[in-house]
Amino acid sequence: MGWALRRVGISVLLVWAVASIVFVAIRLVPGDPAELLLSQGGMAPDPAAVEQLREQLGLDLPASEQYGRQMLGLLRGDLGRSIQDDSPVLDSIARRLPRTLELIGAAAVLALAVGLPAGVGAAIRQGGLLDRIGSALSGLALAVPVFVVGTLLVLVFAQWLRWVPAGGYVPLARDPAGHLVLLAMPAVTIALGLGAVVFRMARAAVLDVSARDYVRTARAKGLAPRRVLVHHVVRNALGPVVTVVALHLGSLLGGTVLVEYVFNWPGLSGLLVDAVSARDYPMVSGIILVISVLFVALNLLVDLLYAVLDPRVQHG
Amino acid sequence: MLRRSLIAGAAVVPFLRNAARAARDAGVLRFGLSSYPPTLAPWQNAGTAAGTVQLIMNRGLLSYAPDGTLQGELAERWGRDGDAWVFKLREAQFHDGTPVRAEDIKWNLEQVAGEKSTAYLRAQFQQAERIEMPDARTVRLVMRTPNATIPLLLATFFMPVVKPGTTGAGAQPVGVGPFILKAAERGVGLEFEANPKYYKPGLPKLRGIRATAYADENLRVAALQAGDLDLIEYVPWQSMAGIEADPKLRLDATDGPYMYLVFNGKAGPFADARVRRAVAHAIRRDEIVRAAFFGRGKPLEGLPVTPGTEFFDSVRARAQAYDPARAKALLAEAGHPNGFSTTLLSTAQYGMHKDTAEIVQQNLAAVGIQVELKLPDWATRVALGNRGQYEFAVGGTASDSNDPDGMSAVLDGTLPPSYTRSINLPTPRVHDLLAAGRSEFDPAKRRAIYAEMQDVALEQAEFVGLAWRSQGYAMSSDIKGFHNLPGSIGFFSGYTLETAEFV
Repeated sequence: MGWALRRVGISVLLVWAVASIVFVAIRLVPGDPAELLLSQGGMAPDPAAVEQLREQLGLDLPASEQYGRQMLGLLRGDLGRSIQDDSPVLDSIARRLPRTLELIGAAAVLALAVGLPAGVGAAIRQGGLLDRIGSALSGLALAVPVFVVGTLLVLVFAQWLRWVPAGGYVPLARDPAGHLVLLAMPAVTIALGLGAVVFRMARAAVLDVSARDYVRTARAKGLAPRRVLVHHVVRNALGPVVTVVALHLGSLLGGTVLVEYVFNWPGLSGLLVDAVSARDYPMVSGIILVISVLFVALNLLVDLLYAVLDPRVQHG
Repeated sequence: MLRRSLIAGAAVVPFLRNAARAARDAGVLRFGLSSYPPTLAPWQNAGTAAGTVQLIMNRGLLSYAPDGTLQGELAERWGRDGDAWVFKLREAQFHDGTPVRAEDIKWNLEQVAGEKSTAYLRAQFQQAERIEMPDARTVRLVMRTPNATIPLLLATFFMPVVKPGTTGAGAQPVGVGPFILKAAERGVGLEFEANPKYYKPGLPKLRGIRATAYADENLRVAALQAGDLDLIEYVPWQSMAGIEADPKLRLDATDGPYMYLVFNGKAGPFADARVRRAVAHAIRRDEIVRAAFFGRGKPLEGLPVTPGTEFFDSVRARAQAYDPARAKALLAEAGHPNGFSTTLLSTAQYGMHKDTAEIVQQNLAAVGIQVELKLPDWATRVALGNRGQYEFAVGGTASDSNDPDGMSAVLDGTLPPSYTRSINLPTPRVHDLLAAGRSEFDPAKRRAIYAEMQDVALEQAEFVGLAWRSQGYAMSSDIKGFHNLPGSIGFFSGYTLETAEFV
């Protein structure tokens, strides 16, 4: 119980620290939201109009008062309103986050579905055809930037073959088939790099575990090779793979921006970059806060998964 | 088994495509915007995509015809009466069916000029002394000083007329335009349907418009080429040749916006007009047009007076032309025979600003001026510009109109500090001449005033022109009736969406 309370306390402190750091950091960067909003398209706004907008947005208040207001809002679960269009920040995040999570989730499923069996297979027949092809392809997938992969996919499948639209988004509820088709290309683009990581980690971990004494003992005892592989090798090799995938997924929460951009997928990463460009302080704070909370939660989930995969963790 | 499933799956994909692709509904135009409008609030400058959306759903007193001349919208007729502008209103209804009356126009003008206004043209309309309504269909706008440019201001997308009381936080203002906003998905797109009560008989010709934001310019082009879109704005220069070569597509481009240099006159060499003129003569503008705009533009060797207008003069238009010998002589005269070192502010966020800065850097090195580039993001660049924290800087904009008065924002150094014009270089004579031109109605006298203004501004060289850049729309070749408006008013081309149709 005490452990759990401490953990909750640390989490709250973490959230406060993140909120405070973002509050200060975004204001240290030059650029004024009101000035920017009214200067779009290289236009010169009337300074009086800029002053008026600053007043309306509360940007003329002392920083300490702005900070106090934001923290009080956080306590009430209110992330504030966007400087650009006065809409609640929470609404925008609630709309955009599921799209990014869906993209990352679909990519993770694809990456695991292909990378894991391929990595295990490559390790079993080290130096074989699958290993050589897999290693070469994973090297290529890791070397090519996502925006190149994305642009190539658009060129081939949207412009040449005309099988799929060149990016975009329709809600699942309105058009399920269309939604999945539009999800496919960005998900594959992310899955390529992620799958390569999974392949490499799975291959290395299986090779590592295969050389352990207990595997040799299991084999010496005459256990069926399949049983040795599934129960002793793969199960023990999954730990590092899960860690790496989880860490990658965490960083993808704010890092799918290029893919979202290339495929016009209106997710959270794109919103964050736009908000930073527009110096939309409440939006930037809100998104980073939500991503941080999710990151913490993801790490907790990894700890729990570890415990399931390796009972020693629970005892340790 | 796996192989068979894969083949079966692949065979289904082309059929799914039709489900996913925003299939072409008869009469509904699929428009690719360059960004999602940050706000739909009226009167405020929120960028060109937001302006285009204003023109889809809103109208004001006046607008521009395809040839760039003024035409009446809510004002059927308009004219001058002493220091006042008089507008005779036509029969029109707001989207909710309420008739538009003179007092509605008055309310809109008062919002723009109000103390709490954030309108782009706030300062200009604060020059109104009073607004009179002799009858329900007449509005008299009495100015403190005569102003010949009021009709031009009223034709911009900054002056829509909306129903009183429908603005404010979170509200969607009720307008009078050819299309009505039906649905909006923030950050994704907006759907409009034709306004059946639009005051122009037979218009709009389209049944609706589905506007989708494509921030990535290359994807915007790809979506047009793939048939996902019918019309796109802001065609990237590198794609223009490909679009022209495609028989299914049509490019409508015009030289309107321009790139230029501004200076900080507070200290250092740029306080001396001779140095600024030397910079002007040291730049090979054809290289900028080639490198930054893929040849899609023209050298700008003087002030950005729209070619083809009565104020354009081919000699003055070449006053800042490339002449390295003259540049070196001016530098020597100003006490810098061996040049000097300085910093040029631009931004890495937009390729055209960065590429332009790089060419300027190379060209100035040839006359001995060593330039270090400072390329922060756009937000920082704007902040540094407004605060005068730079030595000289690259700018890019379009004039508010094809009238010389449209250049005020870049030329009038006596206005408050702005990143769009030179700083710490007051230009009282240019300011006075611009004001004189604004309050003069006689065309011959206006020509003379602006000729003098150009001579003074070229001599002072607070503005150094670099390049006109081509601004293009691309569309499916079966679209008729949409036109790119000429010169600097190209960003108001959304006016012609009411006559656009599929043939």
